[in-house]
Amino acid sequence: MDGKLVKRLFKVGALAGLVALYFSLDESTRRYLVHIGKQVPYLPYRYFI
Amino acid sequence: MADYDAVVIGAGLGGITSASLLAKNGMKTLILEQSDLVGGCCSTFESQGYKFDVGASIVEIVHPMDKFFALMGRKREDYIELLPCDPIYSFVTQDGRRFSYPTDIEATTRVIESIAPEDVEGWKRFSKLGLEMVDEMMDAMMTSPMNTLGEVAAMAAKNPKVARYLPLLVRNHQSVVRSYYKNPIILGSVAFQSYFAGAPPELGSGIFGFIALSEHLGIYYPRGGMISIPQGMLKAGREHGLEVRTGCKVERLILDGRRARGVILEDGSEITADVVISNVNAKVTYLKMVGPENLPGWAVRAIDSYRLSMPCPMIYVGLDKKPDLDAHHTVVSGSIEEMNRVWNLYYTKGVIPRTAMSLICWPTEADPSLAPEGRHILNFLCNAPAPYAPLGDNWDRLKDWYREEAVRELERTVMPDVRDHIDYLEVSTPLDFERRLLSPQGAIYGLFSDLTSLALFRPHARSRVIRGLYLTGSSTHLGGGVPTTIASGIITSNYVLKDRG
Repeated sequence: MDGKLVKRLFKVGALAGLVALYFSLDESTRRYLVHIGKQVPYLPYRYFI
Repeated sequence: MADYDAVVIGAGLGGITSASLLAKNGMKTLILEQSDLVGGCCSTFESQGYKFDVGASIVEIVHPMDKFFALMGRKREDYIELLPCDPIYSFVTQDGRRFSYPTDIEATTRVIESIAPEDVEGWKRFSKLGLEMVDEMMDAMMTSPMNTLGEVAAMAAKNPKVARYLPLLVRNHQSVVRSYYKNPIILGSVAFQSYFAGAPPELGSGIFGFIALSEHLGIYYPRGGMISIPQGMLKAGREHGLEVRTGCKVERLILDGRRARGVILEDGSEITADVVISNVNAKVTYLKMVGPENLPGWAVRAIDSYRLSMPCPMIYVGLDKKPDLDAHHTVVSGSIEEMNRVWNLYYTKGVIPRTAMSLICWPTEADPSLAPEGRHILNFLCNAPAPYAPLGDNWDRLKDWYREEAVRELERTVMPDVRDHIDYLEVSTPLDFERRLLSPQGAIYGLFSDLTSLALFRPHARSRVIRGLYLTGSSTHLGGGVPTTIASGIITSNYVLKDRG
Protein backbone atom coordinates (compact mmCIF):
# COMPACT_ATOMS: atom_id res chain seq x y z
CA MET A 1 0.00 0.00 0.00
CA ASP A 2 1.40 3.35 -0.91
CA GLY A 3 1.54 6.26 1.48
CA LYS A 4 -1.19 8.21 -0.32
CA LEU A 5 -3.71 5.40 0.09
CA VAL A 6 -2.88 5.01 3.78
CA LYS A 7 -3.44 8.73 4.28
CA ARG A 8 -6.74 8.60 2.41
CA LEU A 9 -7.91 5.59 4.43
CA PHE A 10 -6.94 7.39 7.63
CA LYS A 11 -8.97 10.45 6.64
CA VAL A 12 -12.01 8.34 5.72
CA GLY A 13 -11.67 6.43 9.01
CA ALA A 14 -11.42 9.66 11.01
CA LEU A 15 -14.50 11.07 9.27
CA ALA A 16 -16.44 7.86 9.87
CA GLY A 17 -15.36 7.98 13.52
CA LEU A 18 -16.63 11.54 13.88
CA VAL A 19 -19.96 10.66 12.25
CA ALA A 20 -20.29 7.61 14.53
CA LEU A 21 -19.42 9.77 17.56
CA TYR A 22 -22.02 12.37 16.56
CA PHE A 23 -24.78 9.75 16.25
CA SER A 24 -23.77 8.16 19.56
CA LEU A 25 -24.53 11.45 21.34
CA ASP A 26 -27.93 12.15 22.85
CA GLU A 27 -30.36 14.32 20.89
CA SER A 28 -29.89 17.32 23.17
CA THR A 29 -26.08 17.37 22.78
CA ARG A 30 -26.49 16.99 19.02
CA ARG A 31 -28.78 20.05 19.00
CA TYR A 32 -26.12 21.96 20.98
CA LEU A 33 -23.40 21.06 18.48
CA VAL A 34 -25.61 21.90 15.49
CA HIS A 35 -26.56 25.22 17.11
CA ILE A 36 -22.91 26.15 17.74
CA GLY A 37 -21.95 24.96 14.25
CA LYS A 38 -24.55 27.25 12.68
CA GLN A 39 -23.17 30.26 14.56
CA VAL A 40 -19.50 29.66 13.74
CA PRO A 41 -19.58 31.32 10.27
CA TYR A 42 -20.67 34.58 11.91
CA LEU A 43 -17.83 34.73 14.43
CA PRO A 44 -15.35 36.65 12.22
CA TYR A 45 -18.02 39.34 11.65
CA ARG A 46 -19.00 39.45 15.31
CA TYR A 47 -15.40 39.86 16.38
CA PHE A 48 -15.16 43.18 14.54
CA ILE A 49 -18.54 44.72 15.38
CA MET B 1 -18.05 72.96 20.00
CA ALA B 2 -20.38 70.13 20.99
CA ASP B 3 -23.25 70.65 23.45
CA TYR B 4 -21.96 67.87 25.71
CA ASP B 5 -18.79 65.82 26.14
CA ALA B 6 -20.96 62.70 26.27
CA VAL B 7 -24.59 61.91 25.63
CA VAL B 8 -25.97 58.59 26.88
CA ILE B 9 -29.04 57.01 25.28
CA GLY B 10 -31.06 55.20 27.92
CA ALA B 11 -31.13 55.33 31.72
CA GLY B 12 -30.74 51.61 32.27
CA LEU B 13 -28.13 50.48 34.78
CA GLY B 14 -25.34 50.37 32.18
CA GLY B 15 -26.16 53.88 30.99
CA ILE B 16 -26.39 55.36 34.48
CA THR B 17 -23.14 53.67 35.55
CA SER B 18 -21.11 54.87 32.57
CA ALA B 19 -22.65 58.37 32.57
CA SER B 20 -22.06 58.85 36.30
CA LEU B 21 -18.44 57.75 36.07
CA LEU B 22 -17.82 60.12 33.14
CA ALA B 23 -19.40 62.98 35.10
CA LYS B 24 -17.23 62.10 38.09
CA ASN B 25 -14.21 62.42 35.79
CA GLY B 26 -15.17 65.91 34.75
CA MET B 27 -17.06 65.24 31.52
CA LYS B 28 -20.22 67.23 30.82
CA THR B 29 -22.65 64.32 30.46
CA LEU B 30 -26.34 64.01 29.65
CA ILE B 31 -28.60 60.94 29.84
CA LEU B 32 -31.66 60.82 27.54
CA GLU B 33 -34.35 58.39 28.67
CA GLN B 34 -37.45 57.80 26.54
CA SER B 35 -39.55 56.56 29.48
CA ASP B 36 -40.68 58.61 32.47
CA LEU B 37 -38.98 56.06 34.73
CA VAL B 38 -35.27 55.36 35.05
CA GLY B 39 -33.73 51.89 35.31
CA GLY B 40 -35.06 50.11 32.20
CA CYS B 41 -35.76 46.53 33.30
CA CYS B 42 -34.54 47.40 36.81
CA SER B 43 -37.37 49.76 37.58
CA THR B 44 -40.62 50.07 39.53
CA PHE B 45 -43.94 51.59 38.52
CA GLU B 46 -46.78 52.64 40.79
CA SER B 47 -50.44 51.83 40.20
CA GLN B 48 -53.40 52.04 42.60
CA GLY B 49 -51.07 52.24 45.61
CA TYR B 50 -48.95 49.24 44.60
CA LYS B 51 -45.32 49.48 43.50
CA PHE B 52 -44.56 46.79 40.94
CA ASP B 53 -41.09 45.93 39.66
CA VAL B 54 -40.94 46.05 35.86
CA GLY B 55 -38.63 43.04 35.39
CA ALA B 56 -35.57 42.54 37.59
CA SER B 57 -36.57 41.20 41.00
CA ILE B 58 -33.42 40.90 43.12
CA VAL B 59 -29.74 41.73 43.08
CA GLU B 60 -27.05 39.16 43.64
CA ILE B 61 -23.27 39.69 43.47
CA VAL B 62 -23.15 43.25 44.83
CA HIS B 63 -19.45 43.58 44.00
CA PRO B 64 -19.91 45.69 40.80
CA MET B 65 -22.40 48.00 42.57
CA ASP B 66 -19.96 48.50 45.47
CA LYS B 67 -17.16 49.09 42.97
CA PHE B 68 -19.28 51.74 41.19
CA PHE B 69 -19.87 53.65 44.42
CA ALA B 70 -16.19 53.33 45.38
CA LEU B 71 -15.19 54.78 41.98
CA MET B 72 -17.67 57.61 42.60
CA GLY B 73 -16.00 58.27 45.96
CA ARG B 74 -19.16 57.27 47.77
CA LYS B 75 -20.51 54.41 49.90
CA ARG B 76 -23.33 52.27 48.57
CA GLU B 77 -24.97 52.11 52.01
CA ASP B 78 -25.53 55.88 51.92
CA TYR B 79 -27.59 55.59 48.69
CA ILE B 80 -29.22 52.14 48.54
CA GLU B 81 -30.45 49.97 51.38
CA LEU B 82 -30.23 46.31 50.45
CA LEU B 83 -32.43 43.90 52.40
CA PRO B 84 -31.13 40.31 52.52
CA CYS B 85 -33.55 37.63 51.28
CA ASP B 86 -33.24 34.22 52.86
CA PRO B 87 -34.16 31.54 51.74
CA ILE B 88 -32.92 32.19 48.21
CA TYR B 89 -35.66 30.18 46.54
CA SER B 90 -38.60 28.09 47.45
CA PHE B 91 -39.40 25.38 44.88
CA VAL B 92 -42.69 23.80 43.93
CA THR B 93 -42.33 20.75 41.73
CA GLN B 94 -44.94 19.79 39.14
CA ASP B 95 -46.30 17.16 41.57
CA GLY B 96 -46.66 19.73 44.36
CA ARG B 97 -43.58 19.00 46.46
CA ARG B 98 -42.13 22.09 48.19
CA PHE B 99 -38.61 22.78 49.49
CA SER B 100 -36.34 25.81 49.96
CA TYR B 101 -32.64 26.56 49.53
CA PRO B 102 -31.30 28.77 52.32
CA THR B 103 -28.31 31.08 51.74
CA ASP B 104 -26.14 29.07 54.13
CA ILE B 105 -24.29 26.34 52.22
CA GLU B 106 -24.27 23.84 55.12
CA ALA B 107 -28.02 24.28 55.59
CA THR B 108 -28.50 23.72 51.84
CA THR B 109 -26.50 20.49 52.14
CA ARG B 110 -29.09 19.25 54.64
CA VAL B 111 -31.96 20.17 52.28
CA ILE B 112 -30.33 18.29 49.40
CA GLU B 113 -29.65 15.31 51.69
CA SER B 114 -33.34 15.13 52.59
CA ILE B 115 -34.34 15.00 48.90
CA ALA B 116 -31.47 13.19 47.21
CA PRO B 117 -28.71 11.82 49.49
CA GLU B 118 -26.86 10.64 46.37
CA ASP B 119 -26.37 14.28 45.28
CA VAL B 120 -24.79 15.59 48.49
CA GLU B 121 -21.26 14.76 47.31
CA GLY B 122 -21.99 16.52 43.96
CA TRP B 123 -23.30 19.61 45.77
CA LYS B 124 -20.13 19.74 47.89
CA ARG B 125 -17.93 19.55 44.76
CA PHE B 126 -20.15 22.14 43.00
CA SER B 127 -20.07 24.60 45.91
CA LYS B 128 -16.31 24.15 46.46
CA LEU B 129 -15.49 24.87 42.80
CA GLY B 130 -18.03 27.70 42.65
CA LEU B 131 -16.63 29.44 45.74
CA GLU B 132 -13.09 29.10 44.39
CA MET B 133 -14.25 30.57 41.09
CA VAL B 134 -15.86 33.54 42.84
CA ASP B 135 -12.76 34.05 44.97
CA GLU B 136 -10.29 33.81 42.08
CA MET B 137 -12.25 35.27 39.21
CA MET B 138 -14.90 37.68 40.45
CA ASP B 139 -13.07 40.93 39.83
CA ALA B 140 -11.33 39.74 36.65
CA MET B 141 -14.50 38.37 35.08
CA MET B 142 -16.80 41.17 36.14
CA THR B 143 -14.91 44.32 35.22
CA SER B 144 -12.18 43.35 32.70
CA PRO B 145 -12.74 44.42 29.10
CA MET B 146 -12.90 41.44 26.74
CA ASN B 147 -13.54 43.02 23.35
CA THR B 148 -10.40 41.78 21.64
CA LEU B 149 -8.10 38.76 21.73
CA GLY B 150 -5.44 41.05 23.18
CA GLU B 151 -7.70 42.07 26.07
CA VAL B 152 -8.68 38.46 26.76
CA ALA B 153 -5.00 37.46 26.69
CA ALA B 154 -4.12 40.32 29.05
CA MET B 155 -6.89 39.27 31.45
CA ALA B 156 -5.70 35.63 31.30
CA ALA B 157 -2.06 36.64 31.85
CA LYS B 158 -3.09 38.66 34.89
CA ASN B 159 -5.34 35.84 36.16
CA PRO B 160 -3.70 32.57 35.02
CA LYS B 161 -6.24 30.49 36.97
CA VAL B 162 -8.87 31.43 34.37
CA ALA B 163 -7.69 28.48 32.22
CA ARG B 164 -9.13 26.14 34.83
CA TYR B 165 -12.65 27.38 34.06
CA LEU B 166 -12.46 27.34 30.25
CA PRO B 167 -14.03 23.85 29.93
CA LEU B 168 -17.10 25.21 31.77
CA LEU B 169 -17.43 27.93 29.16
CA VAL B 170 -17.33 25.48 26.26
CA ARG B 171 -19.68 22.86 27.69
CA ASN B 172 -23.41 23.50 27.79
CA HIS B 173 -25.29 24.36 30.99
CA GLN B 174 -27.05 21.02 31.36
CA SER B 175 -23.91 18.91 30.91
CA VAL B 176 -22.19 20.92 33.66
CA VAL B 177 -25.00 20.54 36.20
CA ARG B 178 -25.46 16.86 35.23
CA SER B 179 -21.83 16.21 36.10
CA TYR B 180 -22.68 17.15 39.69
CA TYR B 181 -26.26 15.95 40.18
CA LYS B 182 -28.37 12.96 39.22
CA ASN B 183 -31.72 13.53 40.91
CA PRO B 184 -34.25 15.17 38.52
CA ILE B 185 -35.68 17.42 41.27
CA ILE B 186 -32.23 18.76 42.17
CA LEU B 187 -31.35 19.09 38.49
CA GLY B 188 -34.52 21.12 37.90
CA SER B 189 -33.51 23.42 40.77
CA VAL B 190 -30.10 24.26 39.27
CA ALA B 191 -30.89 24.22 35.53
CA PHE B 192 -33.58 26.92 35.16
CA GLN B 193 -31.00 29.67 35.84
CA SER B 194 -29.87 29.26 32.21
CA TYR B 195 -33.11 31.07 31.29
CA PHE B 196 -31.75 34.04 33.31
CA ALA B 197 -28.86 34.14 30.85
CA GLY B 198 -31.41 34.07 28.03
CA ALA B 199 -30.93 30.48 26.82
CA PRO B 200 -32.27 26.99 27.61
CA PRO B 201 -30.07 24.49 29.52
CA GLU B 202 -29.03 22.63 26.37
CA LEU B 203 -27.77 25.76 24.56
CA GLY B 204 -26.51 28.08 27.32
CA SER B 205 -22.85 28.14 28.33
CA GLY B 206 -21.90 25.87 31.24
CA ILE B 207 -20.36 28.80 33.11
CA PHE B 208 -23.93 29.97 33.86
CA GLY B 209 -24.46 26.72 35.77
CA PHE B 210 -22.72 28.48 38.62
CA ILE B 211 -25.37 31.18 38.93
CA ALA B 212 -27.01 28.66 41.27
CA LEU B 213 -23.96 28.89 43.52
CA SER B 214 -23.38 32.64 43.33
CA GLU B 215 -26.85 33.13 44.81
CA HIS B 216 -25.56 31.56 48.02
CA LEU B 217 -23.29 34.59 48.48
CA GLY B 218 -26.54 36.42 49.22
CA ILE B 219 -29.47 37.84 47.30
CA TYR B 220 -30.88 41.23 48.18
CA TYR B 221 -33.92 43.37 47.57
CA PRO B 222 -33.52 47.17 47.62
CA ARG B 223 -35.86 48.99 50.00
CA GLY B 224 -38.42 50.94 47.97
CA GLY B 225 -38.38 48.57 44.98
CA MET B 226 -35.86 47.78 42.26
CA ILE B 227 -35.96 51.38 41.04
CA SER B 228 -34.10 52.35 44.22
CA ILE B 229 -30.92 50.98 42.60
CA PRO B 230 -30.88 53.26 39.51
CA GLN B 231 -32.22 56.16 41.60
CA GLY B 232 -29.44 55.75 44.18
CA MET B 233 -26.80 55.54 41.47
CA LEU B 234 -28.25 58.57 39.65
CA LYS B 235 -28.16 60.58 42.86
CA ALA B 236 -24.44 59.89 43.12
CA GLY B 237 -24.02 60.88 39.45
CA ARG B 238 -26.00 64.11 39.85
CA GLU B 239 -23.75 65.12 42.75
CA HIS B 240 -21.00 65.24 40.12
CA GLY B 241 -23.03 67.29 37.64
CA LEU B 242 -24.70 64.52 35.62
CA GLU B 243 -27.84 65.71 33.79
CA VAL B 244 -30.85 63.50 33.03
CA ARG B 245 -33.85 64.12 30.78
CA THR B 246 -36.72 61.63 30.94
CA GLY B 247 -39.54 61.32 28.41
CA CYS B 248 -37.00 62.13 25.72
CA LYS B 249 -36.69 59.63 22.88
CA VAL B 250 -33.68 59.43 20.59
CA GLU B 251 -34.51 58.61 16.95
CA ARG B 252 -31.14 58.61 15.21
CA LEU B 253 -27.47 59.28 15.68
CA ILE B 254 -25.89 62.31 14.03
CA LEU B 255 -23.15 60.88 11.85
CA ASP B 256 -20.27 62.51 10.09
CA GLY B 257 -19.21 59.65 7.82
CA ARG B 258 -18.57 56.87 10.28
CA ARG B 259 -18.10 59.20 13.25
CA ALA B 260 -20.87 59.75 15.84
CA ARG B 261 -21.42 63.45 16.54
CA GLY B 262 -24.57 63.40 18.67
CA VAL B 263 -28.23 62.43 18.53
CA ILE B 264 -31.48 63.50 16.87
CA LEU B 265 -34.52 63.40 19.13
CA GLU B 266 -38.08 62.35 18.27
CA ASP B 267 -39.12 66.01 17.97
CA GLY B 268 -36.35 66.62 15.41
CA SER B 269 -34.06 68.62 17.71
CA GLU B 270 -30.38 67.78 17.82
CA ILE B 271 -27.91 67.40 20.67
CA THR B 272 -24.26 67.22 19.72
CA ALA B 273 -21.61 65.38 21.72
CA ASP B 274 -18.04 64.15 21.33
CA VAL B 275 -19.04 60.75 22.61
CA VAL B 276 -22.32 58.84 22.24
CA ILE B 277 -23.01 55.89 24.52
CA SER B 278 -25.98 53.66 23.73
CA ASN B 279 -27.61 51.71 26.52
CA VAL B 280 -30.23 50.49 24.05
CA ASN B 281 -30.10 46.96 22.62
CA ALA B 282 -27.24 46.69 20.09
CA LYS B 283 -29.61 45.61 17.30
CA VAL B 284 -31.70 48.77 17.75
CA THR B 285 -28.57 50.92 18.09
CA TYR B 286 -26.96 49.73 14.85
CA LEU B 287 -29.94 48.88 12.67
CA LYS B 288 -32.28 51.77 13.64
CA MET B 289 -30.28 54.58 15.26
CA VAL B 290 -27.20 54.27 13.04
CA GLY B 291 -29.02 52.66 10.09
CA PRO B 292 -27.83 49.83 7.82
CA GLU B 293 -27.11 52.37 5.06
CA ASN B 294 -24.34 53.81 7.23
CA LEU B 295 -22.72 50.47 7.99
CA PRO B 296 -20.51 48.21 5.91
CA GLY B 297 -22.23 45.03 4.71
CA TRP B 298 -20.24 42.75 7.02
CA ALA B 299 -21.30 44.81 10.06
CA VAL B 300 -24.99 44.51 9.11
CA ARG B 301 -24.46 40.76 8.72
CA ALA B 302 -22.78 40.60 12.14
CA ILE B 303 -25.51 42.46 14.01
CA ASP B 304 -28.26 40.62 12.13
CA SER B 305 -26.75 37.30 13.12
CA TYR B 306 -27.36 37.73 16.84
CA ARG B 307 -30.34 35.85 18.18
CA LEU B 308 -32.41 37.40 20.93
CA SER B 309 -33.03 35.94 24.36
CA MET B 310 -36.54 34.77 25.09
CA PRO B 311 -39.41 37.13 25.91
CA CYS B 312 -41.20 36.65 29.24
CA PRO B 313 -44.68 38.09 29.84
CA MET B 314 -44.93 39.51 33.38
CA ILE B 315 -48.08 39.43 35.47
CA TYR B 316 -48.41 42.00 38.26
CA VAL B 317 -50.77 40.95 41.06
CA GLY B 318 -51.99 42.94 44.08
CA LEU B 319 -53.47 40.78 46.87
CA ASP B 320 -55.64 41.64 49.86
CA LYS B 321 -53.96 38.97 52.01
CA LYS B 322 -50.52 37.56 52.76
CA PRO B 323 -49.71 34.75 50.30
CA ASP B 324 -48.75 31.34 51.65
CA LEU B 325 -45.18 31.43 50.34
CA ASP B 326 -41.84 30.67 51.96
CA ALA B 327 -39.40 32.94 50.14
CA HIS B 328 -38.92 36.10 48.09
CA HIS B 329 -38.71 33.85 45.01
CA THR B 330 -40.80 30.75 44.42
CA VAL B 331 -39.91 28.66 41.39
CA VAL B 332 -42.40 26.25 39.87
CA SER B 333 -39.75 23.96 38.48
CA GLY B 334 -39.81 21.41 35.70
CA SER B 335 -37.33 18.91 34.31
CA ILE B 336 -34.39 19.88 32.10
CA GLU B 337 -36.09 18.06 29.21
CA GLU B 338 -39.23 20.17 29.69
CA MET B 339 -37.21 23.41 29.75
CA ASN B 340 -35.51 22.46 26.47
CA ARG B 341 -38.77 21.28 24.90
CA VAL B 342 -40.50 24.56 25.71
CA TRP B 343 -37.63 26.53 24.18
CA ASN B 344 -37.59 24.47 21.00
CA LEU B 345 -41.36 24.76 20.63
CA TYR B 346 -41.11 28.48 21.12
CA TYR B 347 -38.41 28.89 18.48
CA THR B 348 -39.62 26.42 15.90
CA LYS B 349 -43.41 26.68 16.21
CA GLY B 350 -44.30 29.80 18.20
CA VAL B 351 -46.29 27.77 20.73
CA ILE B 352 -47.09 29.31 24.15
CA PRO B 353 -46.17 26.71 26.81
CA ARG B 354 -48.83 25.39 29.19
CA THR B 355 -46.30 24.06 31.69
CA ALA B 356 -42.75 25.27 32.07
CA MET B 357 -40.66 27.16 34.58
CA SER B 358 -42.61 29.88 36.39
CA LEU B 359 -41.13 32.38 38.81
CA ILE B 360 -43.21 34.04 41.51
CA CYS B 361 -41.63 37.02 43.20
CA TRP B 362 -43.02 38.29 46.51
CA PRO B 363 -41.34 41.66 47.12
CA THR B 364 -43.63 42.73 49.98
CA GLU B 365 -42.07 39.96 52.08
CA ALA B 366 -38.85 42.03 52.15
CA ASP B 367 -40.46 45.49 51.97
CA PRO B 368 -44.13 45.75 53.07
CA SER B 369 -44.16 49.48 52.19
CA LEU B 370 -44.55 48.57 48.48
CA ALA B 371 -48.26 47.87 48.95
CA PRO B 372 -51.10 49.49 50.93
CA GLU B 373 -51.21 48.28 54.53
CA GLY B 374 -52.14 44.60 54.86
CA ARG B 375 -51.82 44.01 51.11
CA HIS B 376 -49.17 42.18 49.13
CA ILE B 377 -47.60 42.03 45.68
CA LEU B 378 -46.73 39.07 43.47
CA ASN B 379 -44.72 39.66 40.29
CA PHE B 380 -45.25 36.53 38.26
CA LEU B 381 -43.28 35.22 35.27
CA CYS B 382 -45.87 32.70 34.19
CA ASN B 383 -44.67 29.80 32.07
CA ALA B 384 -41.59 31.64 30.86
CA PRO B 385 -40.30 31.73 28.18
CA ALA B 386 -43.09 32.45 25.74
CA PRO B 387 -42.87 33.26 22.02
CA TYR B 388 -42.88 36.83 20.73
CA ALA B 389 -45.08 35.84 17.79
CA PRO B 390 -47.53 33.21 19.07
CA LEU B 391 -48.71 30.81 16.39
CA GLY B 392 -51.52 32.47 14.41
CA ASP B 393 -52.09 35.28 16.92
CA ASN B 394 -50.52 38.31 18.61
CA TRP B 395 -50.03 39.45 22.19
CA ASP B 396 -52.42 42.41 22.06
CA ARG B 397 -55.24 39.97 21.38
CA LEU B 398 -53.95 37.33 23.82
CA LYS B 399 -53.54 39.62 26.82
CA ASP B 400 -56.85 38.79 28.54
CA TRP B 401 -56.47 35.08 27.85
CA TYR B 402 -52.95 35.04 29.28
CA ARG B 403 -54.09 36.95 32.38
CA GLU B 404 -56.61 34.19 33.05
CA GLU B 405 -53.96 31.52 32.38
CA ALA B 406 -51.70 33.17 34.95
CA VAL B 407 -54.42 33.15 37.60
CA ARG B 408 -55.10 29.46 36.89
CA GLU B 409 -51.39 28.70 37.20
CA LEU B 410 -51.22 30.50 40.56
CA GLU B 411 -54.30 28.54 41.72
CA ARG B 412 -52.77 25.26 40.57
CA THR B 413 -49.30 25.76 42.01
CA VAL B 414 -49.16 27.97 45.11
CA MET B 415 -52.40 29.69 46.04
CA PRO B 416 -55.67 27.81 45.43
CA ASP B 417 -57.78 30.75 46.66
CA VAL B 418 -55.89 33.49 44.79
CA ARG B 419 -58.93 34.44 42.66
CA ASP B 420 -60.85 35.54 45.78
CA HIS B 421 -58.04 37.82 46.92
CA ILE B 422 -56.95 39.63 43.76
CA ASP B 423 -57.13 43.39 44.22
CA TYR B 424 -55.09 44.35 41.14
CA LEU B 425 -54.06 42.39 38.05
CA GLU B 426 -52.11 43.54 35.02
CA VAL B 427 -50.07 41.86 32.28
CA SER B 428 -47.04 43.14 30.45
CA THR B 429 -46.66 41.14 27.25
CA PRO B 430 -43.55 40.85 25.04
CA LEU B 431 -45.12 43.54 22.81
CA ASP B 432 -45.52 45.84 25.83
CA PHE B 433 -41.87 45.30 26.77
CA GLU B 434 -40.83 46.04 23.21
CA ARG B 435 -42.75 49.32 23.23
CA ARG B 436 -41.81 50.36 26.76
CA LEU B 437 -38.16 49.30 26.91
CA LEU B 438 -37.18 49.42 23.19
CA SER B 439 -36.25 45.80 23.71
CA PRO B 440 -36.65 44.08 20.32
CA GLN B 441 -39.25 41.29 20.47
CA GLY B 442 -39.60 41.92 24.20
CA ALA B 443 -36.34 40.08 24.88
CA ILE B 444 -35.77 41.38 28.40
CA TYR B 445 -32.52 39.41 28.80
CA GLY B 446 -31.00 41.15 25.75
CA LEU B 447 -29.14 39.04 23.24
CA PHE B 448 -29.02 35.28 23.39
CA SER B 449 -26.04 34.20 25.52
CA ASP B 450 -24.26 31.13 24.20
CA LEU B 451 -20.63 30.34 23.58
CA THR B 452 -20.66 32.19 20.24
CA SER B 453 -22.09 35.45 21.59
CA LEU B 454 -20.04 35.99 24.72
CA ALA B 455 -17.07 38.27 25.49
CA LEU B 456 -15.18 39.13 22.28
CA PHE B 457 -18.03 37.84 20.11
CA ARG B 458 -20.63 40.09 21.75
CA PRO B 459 -21.22 43.64 20.42
CA HIS B 460 -18.23 45.59 21.64
CA ALA B 461 -18.38 48.32 24.27
CA ARG B 462 -16.25 50.49 21.98
CA SER B 463 -17.71 50.28 18.48
CA ARG B 464 -15.21 49.26 15.84
CA VAL B 465 -17.49 50.50 13.05
CA ILE B 466 -18.63 53.94 14.21
CA ARG B 467 -15.99 56.08 15.90
CA GLY B 468 -17.16 57.93 18.97
CA LEU B 469 -19.94 55.37 19.57
CA TYR B 470 -19.84 53.19 22.68
CA LEU B 471 -22.32 50.59 23.88
CA THR B 472 -23.28 49.37 27.32
CA GLY B 473 -25.97 47.20 28.92
CA SER B 474 -27.29 43.71 28.41
CA SER B 475 -26.33 43.32 24.76
CA THR B 476 -22.65 43.96 25.49
CA HIS B 477 -20.13 41.78 27.34
CA LEU B 478 -21.44 40.10 30.49
CA GLY B 479 -25.06 40.14 29.32
CA GLY B 480 -28.32 40.79 31.16
CA GLY B 481 -28.70 41.16 34.92
CA VAL B 482 -28.23 43.80 37.60
CA PRO B 483 -24.55 43.19 38.48
CA THR B 484 -23.56 42.43 34.90
CA THR B 485 -25.05 45.59 33.38
CA ILE B 486 -23.45 47.74 36.11
CA ALA B 487 -20.15 46.02 35.31
CA SER B 488 -20.64 46.73 31.60
CA GLY B 489 -21.10 50.43 32.43
CA ILE B 490 -17.79 50.44 34.33
CA ILE B 491 -16.04 48.81 31.35
CA THR B 492 -17.57 51.28 28.87
CA SER B 493 -16.63 54.34 30.94
CA ASN B 494 -13.05 53.05 31.17
CA TYR B 495 -12.88 52.89 27.36
CA VAL B 496 -14.17 56.43 26.98
CA LEU B 497 -11.79 57.82 29.58
CA LYS B 498 -8.87 55.95 28.07
CA ASP B 499 -9.69 57.19 24.56
CA ARG B 500 -9.90 60.79 25.76
CA GLY B 501 -6.49 60.40 27.44
